Amino acid sequence: MKKLGLVSGLAIAGLLMSSAAVFAGPKVVSGPGANPECFKPWSDQTKYFQWPKKAGPYKIALVNGFVGNTWRIQMVKTAKAFAEQPGIKENIKEFKVVSTGTDVAAQLGAMEDFINQGYDAIVTIAVAPDGFDRIIRLADKNNVVVVPFDNILDTDKVMMVNEDQKEMGRMSAKFLLKEMGKTSGDILEVRGLPGNSVDRDRHLGFREVMEAPPNKFNITEVVGNWDTGTSQKVTADALAVHGHFDGIFSQGGDDGTVQALIDAHHPFVPFAGEGENEFRKQIAEHWKEGLKGMSYGQSPALVAISMKAAISALQGNVMPQMISIPIPVADYTNLKPGENYWPDLKANFFAPNQFLPCGVTFTAPEIMAQSEKNTQ
Amino acid sequence: MPSNLAIRLRQNVGLATAIVLFCIVYLLYHLSHPKGFSSAVLVQNGDEVFTLAMVAMAQTVPVLAAGLDLSVGALMTMVGCFASYLLSGAADGTPLSIDLAGTQIPLGTLPGGALGIGLGALICIAIGTLAGLLNGLIVVYGRIQPIIATLATGAIYIGVALFLRPQPGGKIDDDLNWAMTNSLGDFASTVHIFDDGAAPWFAPFAWIPTPFVLLALIAIVVWIPFRRSVVGRTVYAIGSAEGAAYMSGLDINRAKIVAFTLAGFFAACGGLFLAIQTSSGNADLPQAGTYTLNSIAAVVIGGTSLLGGTGGAIGSIFGALILRVISFFFRVFDIAPLLQPLFEGIILLAAVSVGALRMLRVKNTLELFR
Repeated sequence: MKKLGLVSGLAIAGLLMSSAAVFAGPKVVSGPGANPECFKPWSDQTKYFQWPKKAGPYKIALVNGFVGNTWRIQMVKTAKAFAEQPGIKENIKEFKVVSTGTDVAAQLGAMEDFINQGYDAIVTIAVAPDGFDRIIRLADKNNVVVVPFDNILDTDKVMMVNEDQKEMGRMSAKFLLKEMGKTSGDILEVRGLPGNSVDRDRHLGFREVMEAPPNKFNITEVVGNWDTGTSQKVTADALAVHGHFDGIFSQGGDDGTVQALIDAHHPFVPFAGEGENEFRKQIAEHWKEGLKGMSYGQSPALVAISMKAAISALQGNVMPQMISIPIPVADYTNLKPGENYWPDLKANFFAPNQFLPCGVTFTAPEIMAQSEKNTQ
Repeated sequence: MPSNLAIRLRQNVGLATAIVLFCIVYLLYHLSHPKGFSSAVLVQNGDEVFTLAMVAMAQTVPVLAAGLDLSVGALMTMVGCFASYLLSGAADGTPLSIDLAGTQIPLGTLPGGALGIGLGALICIAIGTLAGLLNGLIVVYGRIQPIIATLATGAIYIGVALFLRPQPGGKIDDDLNWAMTNSLGDFASTVHIFDDGAAPWFAPFAWIPTPFVLLALIAIVVWIPFRRSVVGRTVYAIGSAEGAAYMSGLDINRAKIVAFTLAGFFAACGGLFLAIQTSSGNADLPQAGTYTLNSIAAVVIGGTSLLGGTGGAIGSIFGALILRVISFFFRVFDIAPLLQPLFEGIILLAAVSVGALRMLRVKNTLELFR
């Protein structure tokens, strides 16, 4: 221990006399950026980046974190299929996908490995909103474009792609207020995976609207982990304790929550939830009995837009630092079979998968129907 | 009469297998990597493996005494969260306080600069070591099975971590991050020693990754003396035959407490490095669980028996290396993404089986020492 102290003492001696190294990386330029219908800046304050133009085709890696739920699998399949699409395929020399699990060191390691291997761009779902400073530093040094999406980073030094999670919470609240037609009552909020920026932001957005005066709602919060089974269980518990709710906001696993309502013989109430096909089927089936549902979607196709953004950046185009993707929403008034939900398909998947302004043209069933072999 | 070397080799067959296995897979990785055998790749590998290697070393010590420590991942996480407050390196010092139910209790100010960082690192290591000591005391004097005791304390440590960092964040000195996660050359130029790393005698060493040096240093300075001490040998004796060790007059309680304390120390080193590497603290529950599980896997791959008594921390370092290199393969070879966990599992199973073959054949673990 003493020796270690000595070593760390030595290690630290003089650290303060910082060496101001010079890093390359994107230039901050003024907008507008390329292809604004697809790469929409987050806000008026969003700055714009420009990387030095590189000759294609490019080597691109997708570094996923956790794998093992439907959303992530659909995301990986979408990425693989998108890389084969005409218009994209010519720009990609090599496309590699790895999933590193929930270990941040492994994810950092994988990203650094791809930088070492000379990849041009890395698309990633970060396992934590913090801790990627070293990777950003290395990427900038080597002119590698890093594009976090979905679970993004708390930084403005990289280009990122996401849907506005807070807005999802807000639009859900507005929908419930409209459908319930009152400013007080009991609300059930089924939250997602704790400690996650997506969960946090949706919750904050929802509360922002629900708790604004003159609203006086009694909101019961349960944790459903974005998982059907968990959501069903916690909703059943909440129903047993509270008896009645006037409206429900859920972040995922919504078909489980609806099932819990049915099991408890709870009357159907206005319900804002995620984009699962099962949930949309339930809305279509029961909306006349009161399940007035709205289904917003964090689309797995975000990965495709992130890949497209990476390619566009490598081609030297001006890109917004933070790209906002419109939230695909459907509610009980505009659900159309075969278009935004698929009543005949049993397997659960996330219905919103098309983004036409970005050239993401395949539907969710097309993606999920592909076997793993086809997407290799 | 077999030679001395042959006996040593036979006694350390687990370690030897792990090293050979590692050399094969690692060579394969470098051969297939476009920048194989370069300092940059070694640095990246070192950064990725260091924390897991430390946590695996931590797990080894209680396992040698026939116990499991389920709190190593949580302990590592907790120390990382402390580090995210203590290693900011702010020039004018870091004021510390605790927020208990809205009341701010000031704890004084950590001095700024290098001194503050050094002190912060020592405090982090001390906290981890104390937590390990607590584990040992509960196991020995509470007379609770290690697996249950550490399950409980692990929950406590994660609780502390969540209290400290409800959301990931914090700040670690940029230069500290850069110095510790690069090669010795970058280290020297960042901390301004050896003529900023340009000294001629230093050139042959400049490519070596700092994390590997730290790993070797901790193994040589901490582990090897421990293994040779009476306490260390008592730990092995407990794992082999606790009753016999007791009848031989060995201080069993002391050895068990030391084993868990040392585990706390190793895990704290891991947590400290992870915090430095990520420049932040994150009370990540799934990640803590992953590290605990992987530490057990690394221990087994490294040739330490889960029944205790044989093996060692050096083997666990190689176990951790093998565990990591398996996932390195997915980056250089084209393997379908959704099949990767399957491959990982199969290779893991094979690796563990190779090490365990000898264990299956012996009737009595004492035979492993002949």
